[in-house]
Amino acid sequence: MAIPVSQAWTVATYVIKQKLAGRKRYPLVLMLEPLFRCNLACAGCGKIQYPAHILKAELTPEECFKAVEECGVPMVSIPGGEPLLHPKMPEIVQGLIDRKKYVYMCTNALLLKEKLHLFKPSKYLSFSVHVDGEKEHHDFGVCREGGHDIAMEGVRAAVAAGFRVTTNTTLFDGADPNSVRRHFDQLMDAGVDSMMISPGYTYDKAPDQKHFLGRARSRKLFNALLSNRKKRWQFNANPIFLEFLMGKRELTCTPWGMPTFSIFGWQKPCYLLQDGYADTFQELLDEVDWANYGTESGNPRCANCMVHSGYEASGVNYTFGSLKGLIATAKAMFGGTYEDEKALKDLNEWAPTNHGQLVQIGSGILSAESERVNHSESLVAGD
Amino acid sequence: MATEQQEHLKIEELQQLNPDQIEVMAGRDRENLEGWIPVLATEAEVKDALEKAFDYRGDVTLTLKSGEVVEGYLYDRRHGKTLDDSLVRMMPSKGEDRSRRSIPYSEIAALNFSGRDTAAGKTFDAWVKKYWEKKAAGETNIQIEPEKLD
Repeated sequence: MAIPVSQAWTVATYVIKQKLAGRKRYPLVLMLEPLFRCNLACAGCGKIQYPAHILKAELTPEECFKAVEECGVPMVSIPGGEPLLHPKMPEIVQGLIDRKKYVYMCTNALLLKEKLHLFKPSKYLSFSVHVDGEKEHHDFGVCREGGHDIAMEGVRAAVAAGFRVTTNTTLFDGADPNSVRRHFDQLMDAGVDSMMISPGYTYDKAPDQKHFLGRARSRKLFNALLSNRKKRWQFNANPIFLEFLMGKRELTCTPWGMPTFSIFGWQKPCYLLQDGYADTFQELLDEVDWANYGTESGNPRCANCMVHSGYEASGVNYTFGSLKGLIATAKAMFGGTYEDEKALKDLNEWAPTNHGQLVQIGSGILSAESERVNHSESLVAGD
Repeated sequence: MATEQQEHLKIEELQQLNPDQIEVMAGRDRENLEGWIPVLATEAEVKDALEKAFDYRGDVTLTLKSGEVVEGYLYDRRHGKTLDDSLVRMMPSKGEDRSRRSIPYSEIAALNFSGRDTAAGKTFDAWVKKYWEKKAAGETNIQIEPEKLD
């Protein structure tokens, strides 16, 4: 099972309680960002683009607990920055576990092996290790040669020590579904409990502004990737959300489903857009004009978004919104492998298109280094 | 948040195509604002400059009409109907009192994009170019190091 039964039960009863209470907007997962500091400098991430005094700032454990209690979520994801750089992270995680929250501690795993002893295995705790694909793909994504090997070493060490381990893979334009499928096999071989996947987002703050998937290409990619899937692959995702990524289902964005709290306060409106900050969770709910966000709003900044932080909660809402939703989810969970001949043909014929060098990574032509150097010389250096 | 012109370009793209048909999404072009000292003569200029300061990934320096100078990261702005009830929120970078400040637009006499733009020049293409150059030179363990904070 991708998640503990107790977690599935807790989430189900939480959502049903919200619906019975008539709450139109309620959060599902708190994205708790205790710091922006990181030990990687990935080109696709805009989260660490801040002056040094901001990168040095961090939330106290008490501030973290207050935020969690304020919004009342059953699950807490701790992204960043790199949470393992926070000196009080073990205290924060334990405090959340004591509050019976299911915690996903997101990490690039560079420090995981050496810090494992600071944590205790628990059904409430999962290390969510960011691995963006096979070795070369991941290393380029995180702008660090050898990053993949260190991350996988961390994964194996955590699995061996009895921790729950999930992985998080973000896909950008140029991702090769055949390579990602091999990546899934490698992750399951390493003993991870489950895997999260999501397309990247046209994040205005990211240094890299050239490799964002539009919705049409996202669907093509995820349909090739997730159709004809292997039974051994375990995903930590609402199955309706995965069907949405594959283009089999429409969902509308639930931007309040995964609110973000950081050193600046409650981020308006969501994890990916920064339109300012609210001082309280209630202020966030009350003051954001939610109709202005989501693809259906026509807001150009939301136009291509299919990211889990906006749509995973939509999938959960669909699941618990009606008997039809429950049946569809059960069918998706237990129904099988999404056999699809056209998707298989797409997968077999998948040819990386020329959107930059990223597409060549993992495609088996790395040995043609001289050609790549020549090609890269034609690129304009940004720094 | 993108600038007005960038928003306009994205809207134009979306008018040509349904979002569901777009294969690769346009990113944004970064404005080079580092060192810029905007003219704050009109209400529109004040609002535009502070919107850009909110979007900027470095520290800015505000000179208040009282003569006080505040340097720090502008992490929020709130729009009211007038400059008096519109305000910016800052985390000061200097001084003994680093507590957050809320400053009405109407009290701001000058704005300087004084801090380094921490997002500038860190493109994926630049990384790839640098990687292959270093690889060709025989280097190993090639990476982009996070900047030192001290």
